[in-house]
This record gives sequence, structure tokens and C-alpha cells, in this order.
Amino acid sequence: MLTITDLHATVDGKPILNGLNLQVNAGEVHAIMGPNGSGKSTLAHILSGREGYQVTQGSVVYKDADLLALDIEARAHQGVFLAMQYPVELPGVNNMTFLRESVNSVRRARGEDELDAVSFIQRVREKAELVELPDKLLKRNVNSGFSGGEKKRNEILQMALLEPTLAILDETDSGLDIDAMRVVANGVNALRSPEHAMIVVTHYQRLLDYVVPDFVHVLANGRIIRSGDKSLAHELEEKGYGWVIEEAAA
Amino acid sequence: MTAQVSQRQWFNDIIEQGQQAMHSADLPCLNETRKHARQAIQQLAIPSRKQEAWRYSDLDKLFKQTYRVQDEPFTALEKGDIDSWVYSEEESYRLVFVNGDSVPHLSNIHNLPDGVIIGSLRAVLSTDMTLAAKWLGQNVWQQQDVFSELNHALANDGLFIHVPENVRVDKPIEVAYVNLSLEQNVLAQPHSLVVLETGAQAKLVERFISTGDSEYFFNGVTELSLGSNATLQHYRLQDESMNARHLSRLVLQQDTASEYHGVNLATGGAWSRTDIYTRFAGQHASCHLDGLYTVGAQQYSDFHLDVQHSVPNCRSRENFRGIIYGKGRAVFDGRILVEKDAQKTDAQLSNKNLLLTSDAEVDTKPQLEIYADDVKCSHGTTVGKIDPNQIFYLRSRGIAEHEARKMLCLGFAEEILAQVDDADVHDFIQAQVAALFSGQEGVL
Repeated sequence: MLTITDLHATVDGKPILNGLNLQVNAGEVHAIMGPNGSGKSTLAHILSGREGYQVTQGSVVYKDADLLALDIEARAHQGVFLAMQYPVELPGVNNMTFLRESVNSVRRARGEDELDAVSFIQRVREKAELVELPDKLLKRNVNSGFSGGEKKRNEILQMALLEPTLAILDETDSGLDIDAMRVVANGVNALRSPEHAMIVVTHYQRLLDYVVPDFVHVLANGRIIRSGDKSLAHELEEKGYGWVIEEAAA
Repeated sequence: MTAQVSQRQWFNDIIEQGQQAMHSADLPCLNETRKHARQAIQQLAIPSRKQEAWRYSDLDKLFKQTYRVQDEPFTALEKGDIDSWVYSEEESYRLVFVNGDSVPHLSNIHNLPDGVIIGSLRAVLSTDMTLAAKWLGQNVWQQQDVFSELNHALANDGLFIHVPENVRVDKPIEVAYVNLSLEQNVLAQPHSLVVLETGAQAKLVERFISTGDSEYFFNGVTELSLGSNATLQHYRLQDESMNARHLSRLVLQQDTASEYHGVNLATGGAWSRTDIYTRFAGQHASCHLDGLYTVGAQQYSDFHLDVQHSVPNCRSRENFRGIIYGKGRAVFDGRILVEKDAQKTDAQLSNKNLLLTSDAEVDTKPQLEIYADDVKCSHGTTVGKIDPNQIFYLRSRGIAEHEARKMLCLGFAEEILAQVDDADVHDFIQAQVAALFSGQEGVL
């Protein structure tokens, strides 16, 4: 589904990714771990099309096409979704209106009929229940005055509605207490299926207790320096990142 | 000829033509007012950019154009010519003015509550001049200038509302000021008077609209007087032709514990300016002014607010937002004056602007002038662009960029619309602004 080959990228001329390779197949969940500044968020942003990053070398092929050539919204139409680390507030933009516009934009782009108001509301209610997002937050402005946990649940709600084929979770666990994390993880796990793939970017192992990955990769200095299964995450939790980086340098 | 002389002649030409157009015997009770105004125009300074209040307002194009008072009251307009109303005919009292003159056959003011008068100032003055004359011109002393005097010099008609003590007008009042020019560019000058006696309550929607792309000069004056404990919700929606020039003067006097909430929308006009003067005559009164202006293409849009706290314990809120795009130019000048005796004044003024293009421009000037020492006052103003992070967020959810920008602009406007208590008015404005932005994908 996704093949990243020798990806190099810079921000303001400063190299962040230095030859990253990653293969993600349908149905797989990949965890990307690594110390601060290793390039985890940069990778997530480049995949979603955020501006401010220059890809200087390498390629990203998604569903047999050049992902980097697509506009931000076209990536969403193709099933790419980024759950953001810091979801922005949209003052004056009603959450329900936003969710409906998002779902219908994607449906239109795929040549599907727009959802009518009644079926849309039913679907939102159902998914909101899954992420335990209270009804009143659906009626508020997007993320405005939401707590950190509520913002993250709103992200997962959007993911549940859009059912992306490739979901990228950027430090979705940051700032969540254990109960909120369980709720978010439930939402994420509900989307796991043989057709859907996920990249879970995280600094800590604890989210991976709930969203169990098929593969764990360690990113350091803009490169994947080690890959393994979920036991690698536990090892990192115990021993930190130092030893992997040292071994990779040796 | 110097510019001042030729511009004064511009006023005198209009007055001369206007006097001929008006029936000479029309409303003789106003003759004294008209005469005073004609004399005042000879003395008053002609606005120019050297005066602070007119620093940003370019009047050159106005003075180059010839405007004429219409000879005959306009009767050809049909009900169907006004295609949108905020309220249905059954659930409101409805009045129509065309080029400043009331048009009874388009109005519907039947079955008014006992003692309430809603109608044309001309009709009221023709039958019983004592009531209206008592109020007329009482509030305009403080903002005398050539344009308000031009309005007085040819005063002939306008809206008149009088709500007696402790009466609540049971339905909203919707007034449409329709303006249209046929062979000549028209001067429309309604002089309106709204009086709520002690404890009276009303909801008034005033709409300023045009037919087609008419070019004209609207020069309206509205006097509002709220008695003790009176409450007025007042919505003023200007959506005129892109060739229109619109100047509105609003003078508000509030007695003890009265409450005024005004929402001002300005989307139309080539050149549009609204001056609002508020004065508290009694304590514990509250004045809440909200506003939204959208300014695009070659438009000029201007709001001047002057809120005077002269007595203690009053509260005022001014909250205005502007969305400026294309080569639009906006001006906001908001002043709060707190006089020495106005202790415990609670006043806040805010003006926020969204500039969507590099050619768009706004001049914003909030002013607090405080002479009392125990007050709670604040003012703030911002000028910004759409946050690219917000656009990214929406696009990453599949929403096209132009749609994302439109949603964020509507969101910015919604912060003002959320203050509109009346659902019909809220939805009407929201639809109007959304429709406006829908045609602007290239320039937003």
C-alpha cells in the first residue's frame, strides 16, 4: 500500500530525514518510535502534505501512485488521514458542519452520493459513542475550548467517519491520561481490518499496549535504524533509545 | 473656484432642486427645521481628509456626481420586486420606503397593539404634528455636519415608531429601504424617528437594499430614544448595489436602565459609512453594538462609533469584525468617552479584521477617553490573515482550499452572528454572507 524509499527531507535547509525506507501493507499496524527530534512528526507531516518541508530525494508510492504529487485534500480523498498531535481550534466553525463537509467532500471526490442530514447525524452519533465524545461537543465550534483529551477524541471521531485506508497517528497519546488513552485506542482498534493500514507515531510504549502493532521501527537521525515486533517497544521502554542508537552507529 | 466653494455649491444645487421637487406646502411644520439647516450648510465646514473624522473617507467621487431628489413618490414597485424578507408578512409589521419615501401599498402595519404607532413620519406629521415634533431633531445636536443638515434641509419622510409606556410590540418590525435610480442618480434621505417610552419593548429590522445595480446617494438619519427600562433589539442590514453610496447617521439616547442591542451588517455599496452616536441620559443603561462588514473589489466601508458615558453605572460593548478582500478598504473608528461623573462605567470595545488579499486595507482606530477614576474599560483591535494551520487542517480532511477559506471566513463572521438572538435574522445574515462568499472563490 505504501512504499517509502530513500526519503530525504529538509526544513529551512536543515536535513531532518536522511534516507528513510518503510514498507506498509494493507492490514498492518506500524509503530514508529524514537527520541525527540528524530524526524517522527516530519514523516507524518510529509505524508499528509503539510507545507514547509522540502523533499530532496527519494519517493513515496501510495496505492501505486506518487503520493507527494497529490494536493493535501487529494490525499484525504485517496484515504490518507493524519490524526494531529496539536489539532487546531476553528473558532466559529461548527463541529457538526465541519464533520459533514469533510465526509461529503471525500464522498464527492470518490463519486459517491453525499450523505443526507439524517443519515449523517445517525452515523456521527454512532461514532461519537465509540470515542465517548459528548453530544454537546458536536454542537460546539471545532476544538474550541476542548480539553487536550477531547481534541484527540475529536481526531479519532474524524478518522472513524472517514475510514481512511492509511491512518497516521501523530503522538495521539501525548497528554492523555490512561482512561482517555483507552478510549482513543478503542476508536483506533475499531478501524483495524485487512483493508486498513496504520502508522502510529509515538514517543512512549504505553499506547502500544492498547494498539498492538505488527511492526515497531526505531527512527533516529532521520533514518530507521532498527525494526522488530512489539517486543522491541518493550525493550525500548525498559532500556531507552541509547543502546539502539549506539548499536546502529557501531 | 476652490474645492470648498464648488463643494458647497454641490449642496446648494441639491437643495434648490430638492425644494422644487418637494411640494412647497408639504409638511409646513418642518419649514423652520429646513430653513435652519439650509443656513447651517452655508456655515459648516465641508468634510475633507484634513478633518480627523473624514481622514480616510474619500468624497471626491461623491462631489463629482449629480444627485437629484425624485419628483414624484415612487409607486411602480410591486410586492414581488422585493424578493427576500427576514420574516413572513404574517409574523411581522412591514414597511417599505422607496428612495426615502414611504410606499403604503407595499407595507403591512395592520392590527397594531393599542397606542403603538408604526408608519411614515410624513403621515404622522400630516395628521398630528405634536407627538413627532416633540422628538424630532432632539438628538442630532451633537453630530451636526453638512450631511445631516442636508438631510434636515429636505426632510420629508422617514420611519416613525412610537411605543407607549410598558407596551411590548408583539411582532418584529421589518423595514426595507429600497433604493433605485432610473434616468437620474437619486438622492434618498429618510429621516427616521424611533421612540420607546418607559418600559416599552420592540424588535426592529432595518434593511437597506437596491434594485439592480442602481447608482444613488443614500443619506439617512435615524434618531432613537429609549425611555427608562425600555428595550430595543435593532438589526441594520445594508446590502446595497455595488454602485451605491450610503451614509447613515444613527443617534441613540438612552434613559435609566434601558437596554439597546444593535447589530450592523454592511456588505454592499461602493462607498458606505455608518456613524453611530450613543449617549446615556440615565444610570444603569446598557448599550451593545455589534457589527460585521465585508469589503471586497473596489468597495469602501466605514464605521464610526462614538459612545458617550456621561452618567455613572452604564455598560457598553462594541464588537465589530471585518473581512476585507480584493482591493477593499475598510475603516473602523470607535471611541468611548467616559466623562468625569461617569463612575463605575463598564465599557469594552473590540475590532477584529481579517485581510484576505495583499491589496486589502483596513484603518482601525479604537479610542478610550477616560476622565473618571473608577471605571472598567478596555479596547483592542487586531488585523490578521487566515491561519495557514487552519487551512491545512481542513484540507487534510478532504475540504478543497477555497471551501476551507470560505468556512474560516464564515467562522470569523459567526463570532458576531452568534450575538444575534433572533434565529430568523441570524439565518438571514448567515445565508447572505455565505452567498456573497460563494461567488468569490478566486479572490477570497
